[in-house]
Amino acid sequence: MTDKPKVGVYVCHCGINISATVDVETVADYALKLPNVEVARTYSYMCSDPGQVLIKNDIKEHGLNRIIVASCSPRMHEPTFRKAIQEAGLNPYYLEMANIREQCSWVHEDMEEATAKSKKLVASAVAKVRLLEALESKEVDAEPAALIIGAGIAGIQAALDIADAGFKVFLVEKTPSVGGRMAQLDKTFPTLDCSACILTPKMVDCASHPNIELLSYSEVEEIGGYIGNFDVKVRKKARYVDFDKCTGCGDCAAECRVKDRFPSEFDQGMGKRSAIYLPFPQAVPAKYTIDPESCLYLTRGKCGKGPKCQEVCKAEAINFEQEDEIVEFKVGAVIVATGFDPFDASRKPEYGYNDYPNVITGMEMERLVSASGPTGGKVKVFNGEEEIEPKEVAFIKCVGSRDASVGNEYCSRVCCMYVAKQAHLIRDKIPDANIRVYYIDVRAFGKGFEEFYDRVRRENVRYIRGNPSEIFKRGNKLVVKVEDTLTATPLEDEVDLVVLGVGLEPRADMREIMDLLRLSQSPDRFFLEAHPKLRPVDTATEGVFLAGCCQGPKDIPDTVAQAKGAASSAMIPLARGKVMISAQVAEVDEATCRGCGFCVNICPYTAIELVKINRFGHEVEVARVNEALCKGCGSCSAGCLSDSIQPKSFRDRQILPQIAALGVLK
Amino acid sequence: MDLEQLRKTAAEVVVREDVKYLIGWKQGSYGYRVAPVFVEDASGAAELLFSPLCTANLATYLTLVEKTPLPRGQEADKRKVALLVKGCDSRAVTQLIVEHGINRDQVIVVGCPCPGVVDTEKLAEKYPEQGKPAEVEWNGENFVLLCDDKETELPRDQFLAEKCRLCRHPNPVISDITVGEPVEPWTLADDNGVEEIEGKNLEERQAYWEEQFSKCIRCYSCRNVCPLCYCQDCILDRLNPTWVNRAVNFSENTAFNIARAFHLAGRCIECGECERVCPANIPLGKLNRKMAREVRDKYGFEPGVDPEAEPFQASFKPDDPEDFIL
Ligand SMILES: Cc1cc2nc3c(=O)[nH]c(=O)nc-3n(C[C@H](O)[C@H](O)[C@H](O)COP(=O)(O)OP(=O)(O)OC[C@H]3O[C@@H](n4cnc5c(N)ncnc54)[C@H](O)[C@@H]3O)c2cc1C
Ligand code: SF4
Ligand code: SF4
Ligand code: SF4
Ligand code: SF4
Ligand code: SF4
Ligand code: SF4
Repeated sequence: MTDKPKVGVYVCHCGINISATVDVETVADYALKLPNVEVARTYSYMCSDPGQVLIKNDIKEHGLNRIIVASCSPRMHEPTFRKAIQEAGLNPYYLEMANIREQCSWVHEDMEEATAKSKKLVASAVAKVRLLEALESKEVDAEPAALIIGAGIAGIQAALDIADAGFKVFLVEKTPSVGGRMAQLDKTFPTLDCSACILTPKMVDCASHPNIELLSYSEVEEIGGYIGNFDVKVRKKARYVDFDKCTGCGDCAAECRVKDRFPSEFDQGMGKRSAIYLPFPQAVPAKYTIDPESCLYLTRGKCGKGPKCQEVCKAEAINFEQEDEIVEFKVGAVIVATGFDPFDASRKPEYGYNDYPNVITGMEMERLVSASGPTGGKVKVFNGEEEIEPKEVAFIKCVGSRDASVGNEYCSRVCCMYVAKQAHLIRDKIPDANIRVYYIDVRAFGKGFEEFYDRVRRENVRYIRGNPSEIFKRGNKLVVKVEDTLTATPLEDEVDLVVLGVGLEPRADMREIMDLLRLSQSPDRFFLEAHPKLRPVDTATEGVFLAGCCQGPKDIPDTVAQAKGAASSAMIPLARGKVMISAQVAEVDEATCRGCGFCVNICPYTAIELVKINRFGHEVEVARVNEALCKGCGSCSAGCLSDSIQPKSFRDRQILPQIAALGVLK
Repeated sequence: MDLEQLRKTAAEVVVREDVKYLIGWKQGSYGYRVAPVFVEDASGAAELLFSPLCTANLATYLTLVEKTPLPRGQEADKRKVALLVKGCDSRAVTQLIVEHGINRDQVIVVGCPCPGVVDTEKLAEKYPEQGKPAEVEWNGENFVLLCDDKETELPRDQFLAEKCRLCRHPNPVISDITVGEPVEPWTLADDNGVEEIEGKNLEERQAYWEEQFSKCIRCYSCRNVCPLCYCQDCILDRLNPTWVNRAVNFSENTAFNIARAFHLAGRCIECGECERVCPANIPLGKLNRKMAREVRDKYGFEPGVDPEAEPFQASFKPDDPEDFIL
């Protein structure tokens, strides 16, 4: 530090958020008496333009070189004030914020005590601000390409937007086809457009777009690097079918020796497929895949006299020698769009999903009413004795949602509406059916939702307020035991078909992605966004964004909106071509580092590596921080026995005086 | 222990081109003293000793060697260092490998299976040290004191060092060359070495340690002898910030001793050297052993047994059931 510190302290009223509990004038008067403090003022809203001007003018007039803003948490406004003092010619890191709102006025009631505490917080900021160092932010080049993980409607939409803007997109999908859950839906609420009709063109577009490289039947294995410069490694799983030769004719599946023997994932196990298969007729890419778990040749080493598919494929596309392939590339941003899992209904044993064939889930219902489904769109169920067209149909809502007993306290947001939609479709197909919906609440919040719900009720669908306690069999009927809570009447309704309105859950395999990208979960276990209101598509890992149901349950319009949001955020670094690297990163003291590597293990962002250096003629190992990866979290510093690694601005010698000023240390 | 074999093996090792020297023990100048020796040629090997008096953990010297600045252009001596180790010493070497304190290929570990060493203080209490060197040997069952042409049998359970009573690894856990036959690990003492302290209530513990730490003269011998205290710049010496003041009083002494105990949690391999060298007779072993027991019981981790292990203090699981992690 060259100049003598000249500190300016600005105490914010925050309207009455602070000033109702803290006597801000007293705090400012007190601050003025602290060492090196030249100016101390209060203002109603420091973050406002006049508030910032106040600081800028004082810097010019009084030659201030350190600024303290006693206001809110630095999370929101640290960047605001940094920018302000930078505009006045100061190094932006000569700023310290004393949080007298979240950590004081909002949590206390007694004015005298809250004021005393605010004084201490200001004194401790003064103790630290004098010791801050000037830091320089750096810029590095960003790769003009994006990786999108998951090709449901969210991933597809984000890919198309980014590709249309002229950037390269790598779209990685785990299953053999893009489309995700939306491809399985029949019609979509509230407008009842046919799902396939609106989705298929987008699926085709993303396979043919010159800027999109579609990696289907693939998984991301490794992601290293940082915003602007992610190094990605993808495993393209062996399809045992030559991608370029396969014409998608389907002769192989028709002749497969285990033809139509295995439950089709796409038809929710209600239809069957062969060992070599196309998940569904409109699948993109339209290339067949051999399931290594069901193929005779791949499981037993033998399929008749020779694999039948190989024999019949005119394009000679079958190749059992094929192996997984690793593709590596670089991208500047990543969008996670991995979607959801439907709630597993067997976790509510009282509803008998595992016991009765005519208790089905909403997802199964979608396939059952779909013209491309296993029954060709005819609603038929097996009631244990015979196949019938159900005349008495019951829907149960909130299965696996708003239910602490299965660990899901959240509302799945789509079940109310898809149940209404399915009730309407049943009414359409079986006009004389008696349709009941058991509900706790009806949440019809979206555009056109209430109107749609009204319409369905007018179609003679009975809504009964009550949460069924049990389903059991009586004769060839199922009995739904429930109390109608509006009339306090216990009911035992006899029905032919029960549809469980299962909710949306985080994917069982989401841990893989969390570990790859160091993402966190919110309490509902979906991926955690950086800020619930202001940064809903960002994550704590810079350059990584969220889209669709992986972040929380949502319907298609919301999914698409979020995908477009994620796409535009992801394009910021790509379009700028540069990314700013925070200057508050950890720094290693190479003279004292003993090269033990503890920090390397500890760093949650893998920002540290050991490198060999020459120390007076001897080769020794020391830690080195990749500044682009480091988040300045300080974990490394806590783990280093000899204090050889310290985050800038949060060095021991900067924060110990700060703590001491609180009166904790002497 | 066949000393001839040890010396022969050592001589063969030191003459190797790629070996700088071998660190071993030799007889000291008086009483029960044993001194470290750096053997650079075959003739020096004749001095080597391995007996129940060889308590010192020579692994300390691996990191203690000062790397003085080299004149420009001069190559650093990259030859290997050979080292005699007992079971506990080998754990120090292993832990050093885990922490990158040394490279595995820079050391030649000459393992000496160890039947347990004597507590020289107990020995000196009963048989006072004399001006000339005395010898102690193992006779299979007990120790034997050879002095003035007299042979005195020393019952093992009376004279065995505390660390050996609790030793779980008397055979070296790593070695390139082993001298002698492996010993049969003995049944461990029933107590875990810290029961007495654990039996005390908080006030009693406070009083106990207050008395002990008040004795500390802050000579730093414990830190200097410890094979795992090898930081370039120990934080307990730092001035900016000052974690521990220079003042020698109960408060600062406690800060020093507790900080060191924490720095050794999951790293201390219980060689007992700190306690042995402490001029104030502070039972430092009790402190380190307590930490070691906690680490073993709570995390199932034992330092210095697996050179491939992750360092305990630097390992965490993102899905740790405790939510304070990440
Ligand atoms: C029964 C039911 C009916 C519904 N009906 C309607 C409706 O009528 N109208 C409406 O608006 N909404 C409806 N929804 C909601 C709708 O399904 C979702 O909003 C939409 O599917 C969310 O799309 P997504 O892309 O976020 O996720 P998904 O559709 O789940 O797509 C995720 C994709 O990512 C892939 N993936 C997952 N993990 C990985 C990985 N690690 N690597 C690579 N790829 C991966 C998956 O294979 C999948 O293709 C309904 C939902 C249900 C359950
Ligand atoms: S933990 Fe400390 S001493 Fe060890 S490598 Fe990292 S900076 Fe160096
Ligand atoms: S401050 Fe955090 S992110 Fe940066 S190197 Fe240290 S542990 Fe890693
Ligand atoms: S602790 Fe074990 S290896 Fe070390 S001296 Fe004692 S018995 Fe030998
Ligand atoms: S703390 Fe003591 S017993 Fe532990 S390794 Fe160091 S010197 Fe040996
Ligand atoms: S006490 Fe801690 S900082 Fe000091 S040398 Fe030992 S391990 Fe390193
Ligand atoms: S050896 Fe004993 S007296 Fe010396 S510093 Fe250590 S504990 Fe204190």
